[in-house]
Amino acid sequence: MTVEMGRPPISAPRPRLSITSRLFGFGSIYGKTIRDSRLATIMVTGLITGLVLGAGKAVAAAFDTPTARIELANLANSMPPVLAGLAGNPVNVGTLGGYFEWKYGATFAIIAALWSILALSSTLAGEARQGSLDLVAAAPFGKRRIAIEKLAAHLTAMTISMVVLAVACWVAGAAFGTVLGDEIPASAAIGFALWVGLIALVSGSIAWVLGPLVGRGAAVGFAAAIMFGGYIVSGYAASVPAFATIANLTWFHWTANHLPLAGQYDWISLVPVAIVAIVLFLLGVELFERRDLGETTTVRSPSLPPAALGLRSPVGRAFGEQIPVALSWGLGIGLFGFVVAAASRSFGDELVKQAPGFITVVKTIYPDFDITNAGGFLQLVFVEFGFIIAGFAAANFVGRWASDETSGRIEMLLATPLSRARWLQAGGIGAFLAVGAMTVIFALAVAFGAGLAGSQVVTPFLGSFSLALFALAMVGVGVGAGGLFRTSFAAEIVALVVIATFLIDLLAPALKLPDWVHQLALTAHLGQPMVGTWDPAGIILCLGIAVGGVLLGTWGMARRDLAD
Amino acid sequence: MTSIIHTEKLTKWYGKHRGVVDVDLDIEAGEVFGFLGPNGAGKTTTIRILLDHLRPTSGRATVFGIETTADPVAIHRRIGYLPGEFTLYDRLTGGQTLEYFANLRGGVDQAYQASLIERFDLDPSRRFKEYSKGNKQKVGLIIALQHQPDLLLLDEPTSGLDPLVQQTFFALLRDVVDEGRTAFLSSHILGEVEKTCDRVAIIRDGSLVQVDRVDALRDLAHHQVELRFAGPVPTAEFESLPGVSDVVASEHVLHLRVFGPMTPIIQAAGRHELLDFVSREPSLEETFLAQFGQQAGTADAGQEHAAGGPGHDR
Repeated sequence: MTVEMGRPPISAPRPRLSITSRLFGFGSIYGKTIRDSRLATIMVTGLITGLVLGAGKAVAAAFDTPTARIELANLANSMPPVLAGLAGNPVNVGTLGGYFEWKYGATFAIIAALWSILALSSTLAGEARQGSLDLVAAAPFGKRRIAIEKLAAHLTAMTISMVVLAVACWVAGAAFGTVLGDEIPASAAIGFALWVGLIALVSGSIAWVLGPLVGRGAAVGFAAAIMFGGYIVSGYAASVPAFATIANLTWFHWTANHLPLAGQYDWISLVPVAIVAIVLFLLGVELFERRDLGETTTVRSPSLPPAALGLRSPVGRAFGEQIPVALSWGLGIGLFGFVVAAASRSFGDELVKQAPGFITVVKTIYPDFDITNAGGFLQLVFVEFGFIIAGFAAANFVGRWASDETSGRIEMLLATPLSRARWLQAGGIGAFLAVGAMTVIFALAVAFGAGLAGSQVVTPFLGSFSLALFALAMVGVGVGAGGLFRTSFAAEIVALVVIATFLIDLLAPALKLPDWVHQLALTAHLGQPMVGTWDPAGIILCLGIAVGGVLLGTWGMARRDLAD
Repeated sequence: MTSIIHTEKLTKWYGKHRGVVDVDLDIEAGEVFGFLGPNGAGKTTTIRILLDHLRPTSGRATVFGIETTADPVAIHRRIGYLPGEFTLYDRLTGGQTLEYFANLRGGVDQAYQASLIERFDLDPSRRFKEYSKGNKQKVGLIIALQHQPDLLLLDEPTSGLDPLVQQTFFALLRDVVDEGRTAFLSSHILGEVEKTCDRVAIIRDGSLVQVDRVDALRDLAHHQVELRFAGPVPTAEFESLPGVSDVVASEHVLHLRVFGPMTPIIQAAGRHELLDFVSREPSLEETFLAQFGQQAGTADAGQEHAAGGPGHDR
């Protein structure tokens, strides 16, 4: 039997959109995505602009005579690669642009790359997970067009941010330059911004392509690991022979000679970076087009054993929810720590060859600090980044605790005889336990790496727990803020505190800011734990913030409404 | 009778936005109380205040005689709650979710829990995130019911359930009431309330507009009357009758709304050649819509003939 369906209806033409509608981002997927990312764009642009102008003014003021600049350049040039490490080769360090490029260049790329990773992982995968993409995809557009518009929106936001960065660099040179050569020409500013933007986008492209395959969280993890790993490996390629081969695979290494603020250009090196980014972007669009909407990997993740699910108590359940992410963070940081610790022997050998005087100087100042063994190398390379990563892990744990309220699960939990105070404390303890589980894993990996390098293992193993102290404090900050105000931005607050801590610790000594500014960074109070030097005040401070945060959160939680 | 739920001038403002205003309720033990209102009227706000999830701006609420803000945990021990929207642990199976909530409360009869799983036809071995919307709702209902609470607070309980499961739910609700327990359910589905509730409160724009027995609400309401005459329609004669409103004439048919006794209408109609008379008792839905100033339904009385006397469409 055949059924006459009649002619298909002719769809009505799309109505003309008002200017207002377009301006407010309701005219297209592209416009709406720009609208949704406006806060992040403003924050990142504001942060990097503030850093350029603030640091530019401070550097120029701190080294305001030609003599001071010559001394600065001599100091930087006398530093062997093994000690220059992540800063790379010093070129024209006596100029404002050269010093800026050498000291802070990569920081801008990392900040922008983190933004790109987070944005490009969430624009499709995150939206698919929360279900809103189903509605968008039901509109009369193909999936490919949706992906392209969303991608174009991020490219637009990144372009805006980089244009502002270029202008800020040019302004900093013109406004704050104190010696000859401090001016930053437009071509240098553009070259620097282009490099930052490309490094950011190629890092984000990994998250973009992985998002439809493995989901948002895993995509962020992989992309961030590749970005940070590439940065570390590239930075120490000259001094750790084991890194030299892998470094050739990283875009940080490809573009190592492109130092436009220092007056050294290598435009060609940017081409492969752009090609990789474009290929991955196109691959991501195709994957999104061809795969089922919102369906990530078909490999079912293994279930935890029933005993680990924590069905018997709120603390157990809170910890059970954290176990998978704690394992992931532990393994990720552990891999990083293992590689650094295992490479410490190569580093030590190079240091003895290249800078024996430096070893003597360090020994004089810190008798217990042997920079040629695993503990010393870990303290130099692993700890600073380890604090940031452990801090972000803490933000993740806080976010998972907060999801009880943000997802609405708390409605049912607090309709049982579970009080608000018990819920918050159980969640806080669950996050503390997650920090503990994560730390045991990466501390064992660090100890294993140190053992392979022939160093003693106990001190680096125990030193790894300094990262746990910082992470515990960050959990306390998040739980306190979540209980006191609302949990929906608790994880973001933790992330901001972690970034602020990192920037203070990095910039305050370099810019000769008052000591009290540097003391604001919690990480400035943790001694040199990888070589066995601990600061009791820092330990007490971290534990105090952790416990105090939970107590403050408990107090606040009892006084506010639950979120809708 | 004992008041299980009691509110006095209960008011909640979210900043400048209205939640509920001066809500006075008394719900007695053993009754099924329906809380009706359109979206955003304040139903969920009221329930969340009863649970101490929200704190009232002014006024007070007690459950089991306990002030909600004073000892919410004591209240929670004796209630079962299903939110209008909820999510649970994605990675846990339905069975593990039920086990966790049973452990949080303690004292859950495993046999009763198993019977609920069977009656709702739930597969407890699947992960929560793999469930359909209806199956997630079943998990929520079992969580609310499994500890046999003295009071059920159910916010739109049949949302997402297919008609067969809805029947199962209503049967369970009857069992609950038969055991002397109390249920408070919010809904905007009038048939649901009409079938299950003893009393109904209608809330609009945050304020109660009516609290009464379901039957009384229906009795209070108007009748839709349709008179079909052989000749021209005497509109003016009917407009002046007591209790008559909304008189509309078309062709030889007169539609009117009647509040109160029908005798004057029948007497007036008898003075003309009357071909047909239809009086339709309003459904709760029409009563509800009348409260909100809207025309009741699209299916008007003219299309529903019940020859020889008043008809019932529900």
